[in-house]
Amino acid sequence: MKVRFLIILNKLITNVLKLMGKNASVFPASIILPFDKNILEKVKYPSVVIGITGSSGKGSSTKILANILKQNGKKVVWNKSGSNVKNAITTLILNNTSIISKKIKGDILLLELDEAYLSKTFKKGMLTHLVLTNITRDQPPRNYTPENILNKIINSVDERTHIIINSDDVLVNRFTLKHSGKITTFGLDKSKYSIDKQSYKSLDGAYCPVCSKKLIYSYYYYGHLGSYQCNNCNYKRCIDVLGTNIDLDKKEIKINNKKVKIPGNVIFDAYNTLSAYTAALVLGLNDEEIVIDYKESQEKSLKLDNRDVYLVESKNENNISHLLGLHTINSYKETKTLILGFDHVSKRHVHNDLSWLYDIDYTELDMESIDKIFIVGKFRFDLKNCLLNNNINYNKIILVDDESNLTNLIKENSSGAIFVTVCENMIEMTYSLTKFFNNIRKGDNNES
Amino acid sequence: MKVKIAHLYYDLLNLYGEHANITALVNAFNKKDIKTEVDLLTVDDKKDLDKYDFIYIGSGSKENLIIALNDLIKEKEQIKKIIKNNTYLLSTGNSRILFGKYFELNKEKIEALNIFDYYSEESNQIVGESLMNLKEVGNIIGFQNRGTIIKQKDNHLFKVIKGHGNNINSTNEGYRENNFISTYLLGPILIRNPHLTEMIVNDIIKSNE
Repeated sequence: MKVRFLIILNKLITNVLKLMGKNASVFPASIILPFDKNILEKVKYPSVVIGITGSSGKGSSTKILANILKQNGKKVVWNKSGSNVKNAITTLILNNTSIISKKIKGDILLLELDEAYLSKTFKKGMLTHLVLTNITRDQPPRNYTPENILNKIINSVDERTHIIINSDDVLVNRFTLKHSGKITTFGLDKSKYSIDKQSYKSLDGAYCPVCSKKLIYSYYYYGHLGSYQCNNCNYKRCIDVLGTNIDLDKKEIKINNKKVKIPGNVIFDAYNTLSAYTAALVLGLNDEEIVIDYKESQEKSLKLDNRDVYLVESKNENNISHLLGLHTINSYKETKTLILGFDHVSKRHVHNDLSWLYDIDYTELDMESIDKIFIVGKFRFDLKNCLLNNNINYNKIILVDDESNLTNLIKENSSGAIFVTVCENMIEMTYSLTKFFNNIRKGDNNES
Repeated sequence: MKVKIAHLYYDLLNLYGEHANITALVNAFNKKDIKTEVDLLTVDDKKDLDKYDFIYIGSGSKENLIIALNDLIKEKEQIKKIIKNNTYLLSTGNSRILFGKYFELNKEKIEALNIFDYYSEESNQIVGESLMNLKEVGNIIGFQNRGTIIKQKDNHLFKVIKGHGNNINSTNEGYRENNFISTYLLGPILIRNPHLTEMIVNDIIKSNE
């Protein structure tokens, strides 16, 4: 009776919040869970409960997999909003649970899950499948080390969960040494986008987890992801589902010899698609049934006067995410101007650790085609210092102290397309840029 | 004059943008028209530590600390010698626990280099910004993110103004003996504190004259 009452209460709070125009994805469970912290163990789950977790790419992989499953007639309950902590998961599940039968109203429960709090969300054995995209340096004050997060994930599941892992990630591949249940692995083949030598200085998992000798890579994609082996004990990645023929310009890869579209032109897109595709195979779909199609964005391109404005999303406290953002900027060969900066290091904790900034290889910005780099936000001095330490030309850097004048400064002092690196939640993380964007979106290119 | 710098265990103890300390030092010497040579050293590399003017070692995961320790222990006598000879050796973050008598790891006591008299125990995670004072140069800023405390009687490096000391509530932080400097402040301490870098650079120049 109590469970049914809490399901009703959860639905009621959600609807009231929605009527008030508020975000209803997290709050309802904060009322429900104090009544019964184990409520997630008291509802009836479908035969497939699949979680997707990792430092990055979990949201995109979840979205791709949800679309594949829906196209195959499956009723999928999934967290579209991207809210992935326990309160959000509880709210979602109770909102999709029948009051009478206490059964989740779907064939498949698909969840993007926060990597640090997996065990606090689900008890061992509740997930039938778990996809692990990657483990990289991410939010050090919250997660400490990548190994710490990996161990938390490993300790959150047992042999009842089928693990689907990105074996290009040398840390993630440690699951093969620890997990006694089923494991399916995926990875990317060597391509023109892979590199033989890694200039990135802050590699994780560089030593063999079996014999502690240094691993040898035949190629890298980014960070510690690539193809590696130990010449001492022969530990290496073993791939079940290999992505081949990667063509980022055409936005496609081949999986099982079939051309598959990817949503964008960075290597993350290939990995996210491959992870979803592999999960779909594991869930019993065949290659013909797995159809991936992306609608091109209908959003009008942004302009400042006649200059194109591009948003490059990067995640703060995650140097790899920023590095891939720099790769995106680098892929544009014409003259360009950059806007960098943020007002908050994190939206999840109060600490201002900036060490991750120094793991980003900003020497990538040392290129002729960059006309100017505007630095905004509360941490602009640190960011400038970081660029100078990477030997970026002092004359190209403009520190913006008066942000109300940003648009005019850009117009008067720079040329080319404008690239703006924004954090995952633009409003919270780069408040100083919201006015700039709002003006551009409204077509108002003058300061107000 | 050419200044020789070694980054020890660059591929193991590099958790918090540590390599930026090397860049900061190189840039500081270059500004004075002094050339530098940087050697990246790791496990099984031959280590002639007495040929360097500055040696740096940064933070790492628990397992990487053990891999580094198993290699570094072979150089114990060399390390003692270079400290005696006033070579700069900067240890940041949790690498400093390697130089004490022992440290705890997953509740197990691990014998360390036993070069200094301090020892380390596991603690709740200590995270936050810090403001310290070094008598020669003034205030030093930094960040701590650690799961250990150090029990140490003397040879403190910093006075704590804000944040945590060697032990959670101690008013001193770090260890100093000759030019061996170790601190729980992690990551790019030499970038964030150019006056500290300048002190080290000037000292090294003076010792080479």
